[in-house]
Amino acid sequence: MLQMPSRSATGQNRAAGGATVSIRNLCKRYNNFEAVVPTSVEIDSGDFFAIIGPSGSGKSTLLGMIAGYIDPTEGQIVVDGRDIVPEPIYRRNIGMVFQNYALFPHLSVAQNVAYPLKIRGVVKDEIARRVRESLAMVRLEAFASRKPSELSGGQQQRIALARASIYHPSILLMDEPLGALDKNLRDEMQEEIKRFQQELGATVIYVTHDQQEAAFLADRIAIMRDGAMTQIGSPRALYEQPNSRFVAEFLGEASIFPVKSASGKQAGQPCRIVLEDGTQAIIRTDEDAGPGRFACIRPERVTVGPKARDLDNSYAGTVRESLYTPGSIRYRIELNGTGSTLKVRVLPQGNTEVFETGSAVDIGWSADDMTILRE
Amino acid sequence: MNVSEKKLWAAWSRFLTGMVGAILIGFLVPILVVVAVSFQSKSYLSFPPTDFSLRWYQQFIGNDDYRSAILNSMMIGAMAAALATVAGISTALAVVRAGVPGSTIVSALSVAPAILPQIVLAIGLFPISVWLGLQGTLWAVILAHAVIGLPFPFITVCGALASYSNRIEIASMTLGANSFQTFRLITLPMIRPAVIAGFIFAFAASLDELVLALFLSSPSTRTLPLLLWEQLNFQVTPEIAAAASVILAATSLLILAATLLPRLGKDN
Ligand SMILES: Nc1ncnc2c1ncn2[C@@H]1O[C@H](COP(=O)(O)OP(=O)(O)OP(=O)(O)O)[C@@H](O)[C@H]1O
Ligand SMILES: [Mg+2]
Repeated sequence: MLQMPSRSATGQNRAAGGATVSIRNLCKRYNNFEAVVPTSVEIDSGDFFAIIGPSGSGKSTLLGMIAGYIDPTEGQIVVDGRDIVPEPIYRRNIGMVFQNYALFPHLSVAQNVAYPLKIRGVVKDEIARRVRESLAMVRLEAFASRKPSELSGGQQQRIALARASIYHPSILLMDEPLGALDKNLRDEMQEEIKRFQQELGATVIYVTHDQQEAAFLADRIAIMRDGAMTQIGSPRALYEQPNSRFVAEFLGEASIFPVKSASGKQAGQPCRIVLEDGTQAIIRTDEDAGPGRFACIRPERVTVGPKARDLDNSYAGTVRESLYTPGSIRYRIELNGTGSTLKVRVLPQGNTEVFETGSAVDIGWSADDMTILRE
Repeated sequence: MNVSEKKLWAAWSRFLTGMVGAILIGFLVPILVVVAVSFQSKSYLSFPPTDFSLRWYQQFIGNDDYRSAILNSMMIGAMAAALATVAGISTALAVVRAGVPGSTIVSALSVAPAILPQIVLAIGLFPISVWLGLQGTLWAVILAHAVIGLPFPFITVCGALASYSNRIEIASMTLGANSFQTFRLITLPMIRPAVIAGFIFAFAASLDELVLALFLSSPSTRTLPLLLWEQLNFQVTPEIAAAASVILAATSLLILAATLLPRLGKDN
């Protein structure tokens, strides 16, 4: 309840600045190759919408069609009720941040940021004022007269952000904006982008390779594969209810086993399945669990140690790998007699026992924690 | 790499160095001779020179024929280089950025004038210039020189465009600039060094071109190389050496400018 006021406040802010984007049967074919298959998705005003997926899955192509520098083969992009496909790039009033920033090397930082205003014929004094404000917003006032080549990667990124937003576009597109930065700087920039979007209120469509980045930033995530959005949902929904093996593996870690047979399946009721390796397990899911499906268990849902004996599924296992990392203990544990191993992650408490490689352990999980996936 | 291979490479590189040296000497000696004989007082070409005098330069400067030829050459060079540069930028943009169909053919055609024998161009351009009614006017030579100048800006601008991604121009357009604004505010400043260099080379190419001028000009549009050629047929005096030295100095300065100016442009 305490969160409610702030939520509705950002909600109002969003409604003011962001456009609704409705993509309808949008597709792009090169000769016979479909880079993006006909895709439809609705993005609300002020949403932070992330697109993740392997290389070549069509993320940049989709973004390019929205920005206007790639012509769609078919389909519509409806922004606030109007199809923008027939409009040239420069009239779309969409902000775009590129992976390698695409700053103008011959212009100073201030001239880069001023560029969109100059094009729009804004008067000099106002340009100067807004450039100052915009540079202040990304905390780079002191660098106004430098050339882009005299800035660090993170600073260039912030300039690109300032330049793409100074004209208050209602849509901001970002194509792997943090891809070229190192891990620490990426984390820092994620915070900054989030804060920035909340101030700006724009609808953001954000492409990234990094699933954690997507989960941190986005209200909703689309996972692309071979030119199609295979699943769209909140980070939590995608992680907890992936609709395919591909999504489960792409987002977070998972141990996944092919199902051999299932018996007594009934929606909401526990049912017994047999995996290809002979392991039997009890699951409770609405999905059809027959052959050709996969059983999936997330590493943090697995219990290791004596407590595992009380769970629906409980086995004898052997630790094959044991790794202590800051904040968590990771194991690979073999289910005795099957040859199959499970990924396990334990969040250590003060008294958590750490099992060495080679130890015999009890391992188990509850029926609700194993999900059934399609390919 | 083993020892004998190393020796082979060392011998090979000594040989190459020697070749380059020989070429440079073979190239420089006649130039030095021309310059040397222009600075002496005798009325025939005597080498080695025995005295120093600016007599032939004074005569060269006082000669109205030379004055009008220099003026013609300058005008033709500037106009031809300007035309060649505009055409070179446009074709380079079409080839590198727009990826027009048949772009390999377009680039082959654009560099062809630098490789084709100029006599072939001259024979082909002569009837065209008569047909267009341009024969004997400055425009005949200007257009012909624009053709032979085209490869230089085309090549330099292609190189400049290929050196950066068209992302920069796409970014400019997403920020609201149309194609023309993008060209004026982004593309042109970024390729400016290449444009300057291409212009200067095209200008220099026009300045010392003889064959096309021979075919296409009239006495009133005579260029400096053409005047030199006519004088040589008539009599060889050190005045010609003085004129040739002036062309040489001008061309060298231009080449120096073409290499230095773009760098200066880059720094600020
Ligand atoms: N001009 C083109 N002609 C033919 N195929 C193309 C063209 N541009 C892109 N493709 C293909 O379209 C597919 C999607 O490309 P896209 O750039 O959208 O991938 P992406 O998801 O952004 O990948 P990455 O994560 O590597 O950036 C790729 O298989 C690519 O080879
Ligand atoms: Mg991409």
